[in-house]
Amino acid sequence: MPEVSLIWIEEAGLEGLDPAKAAKKAGVALSDGGLVEAAVVTTTEARAPRSLVNRLKGYPVKWLDLAAEVGGGPLALRQARAAAAVARAAGSAALGTMAQRYTRQPNQEVLVAGRGLAAVAAAHQAAALGHPVLLALETTRARAACADEKPAEVKRALAGLPAQVEVVTGTELVELLGAGGDFQARLQGPRRTSRRRFGAVVLAPPSAYAVPGDMPATAEDITLPVSRLKPKQYQGGEQWLQAAVIAPLGPGATAHGFARAVTAALALQKRPRVQVTLFLGEAKVASEGGERLYRDARRQGVLAMRVEPGGLRVSRDGRKLSFDDPVLGEPVDLRPDLVVLSEEVTGRAPAWLDNPLVTTAWDQDLPDHPRLQAGRTARSGLYLIGGARGAAPGDPRRAQAAAAAADLHGLLSGEAVAVPAVRDVLCASCLTCVRVCPHGVVCYAEDHIAPAPAACLACGVCTAECPAEAIAPPGWSNREMIASLAAGLKAAAGDKLVLFACRNSGMDAARALSLAGHQWPKGLLMVPVNCAGRVGVQLILRALSLGAGGVLVAGCHQGNCRSLNGNLRAKLRSGEAADLLAQVGGRPEQVRFMHLASNQPRALAQAVAELAQTAGEK
Amino acid sequence: MAVKTIKTPAVIIGGGVAGLAAAIDLSRRGLSSLVVERGPRLGGRVADFCCKATDSCVRCGACRLADLVRRVAARPEIAIYTSAKPVAAEADGDGWRLTLEPQRNNGPAPVVELAGGPLPRRSQVQAGAVILAVGATPFDPSAKSRFGYRRVPGVVSALELEGALEHSLAELAGGRDPRRVAFIQCVGSRDESLGHLYCSRVCCGFALRMARVIQARRPGTEITFFHMDVQTYGRAWAGELAEMREQMNFVRAMPGEVTAGPGGPQVVYAAGGRSQTAEFDLVVLSQGMRPPVGAAALSQLFACTRTSDGFLGSDAEPVASGAAGVFIAGSARGPMSIVESIEHGAVAAAAAAGHLQPLVREAAHA
Ligand SMILES: Cc1cc2nc3c(=O)[nH]c(=O)nc-3n(C[C@H](O)[C@H](O)[C@H](O)COP(=O)(O)OP(=O)(O)OC[C@H]3O[C@@H](n4cnc5c(N)ncnc54)[C@H](O)[C@@H]3O)c2cc1C
Ligand code: SF4
Ligand code: SF4
Ligand code: SF4
Ligand code: SF4
Repeated sequence: MPEVSLIWIEEAGLEGLDPAKAAKKAGVALSDGGLVEAAVVTTTEARAPRSLVNRLKGYPVKWLDLAAEVGGGPLALRQARAAAAVARAAGSAALGTMAQRYTRQPNQEVLVAGRGLAAVAAAHQAAALGHPVLLALETTRARAACADEKPAEVKRALAGLPAQVEVVTGTELVELLGAGGDFQARLQGPRRTSRRRFGAVVLAPPSAYAVPGDMPATAEDITLPVSRLKPKQYQGGEQWLQAAVIAPLGPGATAHGFARAVTAALALQKRPRVQVTLFLGEAKVASEGGERLYRDARRQGVLAMRVEPGGLRVSRDGRKLSFDDPVLGEPVDLRPDLVVLSEEVTGRAPAWLDNPLVTTAWDQDLPDHPRLQAGRTARSGLYLIGGARGAAPGDPRRAQAAAAAADLHGLLSGEAVAVPAVRDVLCASCLTCVRVCPHGVVCYAEDHIAPAPAACLACGVCTAECPAEAIAPPGWSNREMIASLAAGLKAAAGDKLVLFACRNSGMDAARALSLAGHQWPKGLLMVPVNCAGRVGVQLILRALSLGAGGVLVAGCHQGNCRSLNGNLRAKLRSGEAADLLAQVGGRPEQVRFMHLASNQPRALAQAVAELAQTAGEK
Repeated sequence: MAVKTIKTPAVIIGGGVAGLAAAIDLSRRGLSSLVVERGPRLGGRVADFCCKATDSCVRCGACRLADLVRRVAARPEIAIYTSAKPVAAEADGDGWRLTLEPQRNNGPAPVVELAGGPLPRRSQVQAGAVILAVGATPFDPSAKSRFGYRRVPGVVSALELEGALEHSLAELAGGRDPRRVAFIQCVGSRDESLGHLYCSRVCCGFALRMARVIQARRPGTEITFFHMDVQTYGRAWAGELAEMREQMNFVRAMPGEVTAGPGGPQVVYAAGGRSQTAEFDLVVLSQGMRPPVGAAALSQLFACTRTSDGFLGSDAEPVASGAAGVFIAGSARGPMSIVESIEHGAVAAAAAAGHLQPLVREAAHA
């Protein structure tokens, strides 16, 4: 085993600590700046001096956010905490694992499939960032625009594409395997099907305007959707022309749909002898200029009539609208000559994406996930943009395309963490990892488990769930984590506790507390994980058997996990560990799970204090 | 005295979520940048927002700030000066020359900083592009005196409630246990008398999330929500809103005034054609956003335009400013949410990259 050196970098939070003492207590050598075999560095790779990062390239290194783990309080306590943290890191550094990056180079080519402005803009942006791009249009060039777009705008964008973009027409993506860095796509062209590999894939499915299903059913001959309305065709005669414009009424109403309805109402109202009644549920004025538009419409004489859900009734012949006047509180009838129904943008990803055998980790409703912006899907390297993701035509679609291109560029140029290592001799081919990987990284190909090269976020969910200890991102195998737990707990002083903390929530909260001088229990060992989902039953029980009196797992709130459900897995596994503990006569309260966000340091401090109390009750 | 000149492809004014997102996106595109933040710490408004998850995350996006700060720290191409602001700017060839002045910030130094430090002395910056990400300014509810802010005890602003949410609400309610809480929406927004003819977009969601937190922590708290319209967007909200309509009292009315009553602030409003009065323990004024306080000065400094609502930029384009090489990011451009500001920051960065690299320039205009 290599000898581990401690490289101490002074920074805020480490004031007064004695590096030599910490090294001695942790059983490592304090580096004198000479050559090292394996190293623990007291700061993160991001904050370390570049020269050091370069010098250590290729060595087994554990970067440690020591300041985040130490916290405040008397010097002796901080010194003890520092020693345990260093020992924990050294425990796995000694195993000599390097954070291997890319065993295979990620493919740099990008596939953009679909149609419309979003597709063309994404292709352009990705090319501008240096990627060869294949733009597979489902249609001919002339029909590249989506039904809700201005054809001329899309045509202009197509004409401006740089040479790095290869455009094929009449071509559809029909199957997609793999993930970031190595996708295998099957493309169905007008004459033949081809297979090609790409590093990233952007889907921009066709979108269109559609009248929502909850609109009143008025007679066909007097009813039009907004997109077919030509206001110039209408004007009143002796009798004023009565027009009803029905804005989106249901809970799915958007500000874009509302603004289009009001625009239509205003255009009609400006025609001679036309009176418009605008029916609306909520005035969704949150689009840009939406409030002005709504005011303008009313000022120009449009009668705005609010109706509750279901409050707008249609007669049997479809020619009479009845509603309760909100001011008079009385029922009112209207016999319109024209009814204009508002529409919303609709778009759906291709149906094959919903097939779990073809694509894992797919969910149409993810756009609301606070960590999956920029058109990201849960599957790393796959993006979904345009109307299918709710973007209104024009600039919003351009913006999404630019954000997705920047994101995929980051991914393909090395933002992902590592490629998980699979030990084929141990693998039982149970496909658990294929099933559980939240990012669609692990595929089963050519009779073995083959992870994609640029997609793994090292969440460790596969490692926690694999029954054979056969898969782990570098640095996160059970062997390494248990070695580090053993070393850390051995060096810890006082009543021992373990905090497994997700880097997206728990560790940020811990860091905030530490830098504000929070005094942690002396024997608390923090174990940062990339996702709480890394923490399985085995790790929890090991922590207890190695002497911890309590274990706390801190993961993100439900619905906030970057790895979708890693937090819920951790919660489940913590519960299982507690049950097992109870079955062998232990106290289940020694194992706890908490949901946490990075901006909730006080909740973390309280949970740790409670755990310490429980552990102390023996 | 020789003034130090820093050369950088892009300078970003404002270290809120939009500015940080812009810096990250530029660095992804291989471009270095300098972030100049007036305050003592990064994060802007979001740094003061707490988590409002109850049984699950309500997608406010506040915790994304920690991600951004971590990623900024991990990128050596991003330099940061806190406690600094531009005091002079002149167009210089294809780019801009800025003079930065250190700012005195009272109070203790921030502890959660990962990167950068205060600007030590007056400096000059030579940059190819400028991104203005100075944020919006919250509306001061005392300008609507009829709502009793700072006059009637128990009337507070939404931001004050936010600040107390993690602690105790009793102090806000003047020592009373707040069992009856009212929210008054659109304070300072959608208001013709103020000339604010825009919706601030975030305050409905902000108020409803806080209302949920209050009800989750103190079951049985009565919540009344005075509003004109509920603006929530995102598909998932539809379900949550239906749930909230069951648990809270949604009143579609803009109250006429708030007065001090014997048991707490009283809200006078019209319903069913009649004037009604209801008493509460706590009345929360949902203040909206205003154009950044420095908008006039900044638009003069950088010769950039203002939107019809007075924010920086132009109505027609999402990030352009009317001045060559100057771009607007985040809520300085108009009301937007945290998550939108992050995306907008990336779009501004793409445009700035386009200005700096001719190939990308074509893409931006496509
Ligand atoms: C009352 C209220 C409630 C809100 N609630 C929510 C919510 O629930 N959910 C949500 O998503 N969003 C909410 N928002 C919106 C959210 O605050 C913004 O989306 C977000 O803060 C925008 O980020 P930004 O970077 O554009 O601006 P800011 O966060 O305002 O950051 C701007 C930064 O620029 C700095 N700066 C300003 N001028 C200068 C200068 N001249 N030189 C140098 N630096 C300068 C400032 O110090 C600040 O750090 C709310 C806003 C308000 C006012
Ligand atoms: S979970 Fe483990 S044993 Fe099962 S297929 Fe994956 S690597 Fe092999
Ligand atoms: S570590 Fe996470 S992202 Fe990587 S392969 Fe395993 S489950 Fe997938
Ligand atoms: S998005 Fe908001 S509610 Fe959700 S975890 Fe983050 S801070 Fe909490
Ligand atoms: S978001 Fe709601 S409270 Fe805010 S201005 Fe718009 S309608 Fe009013």
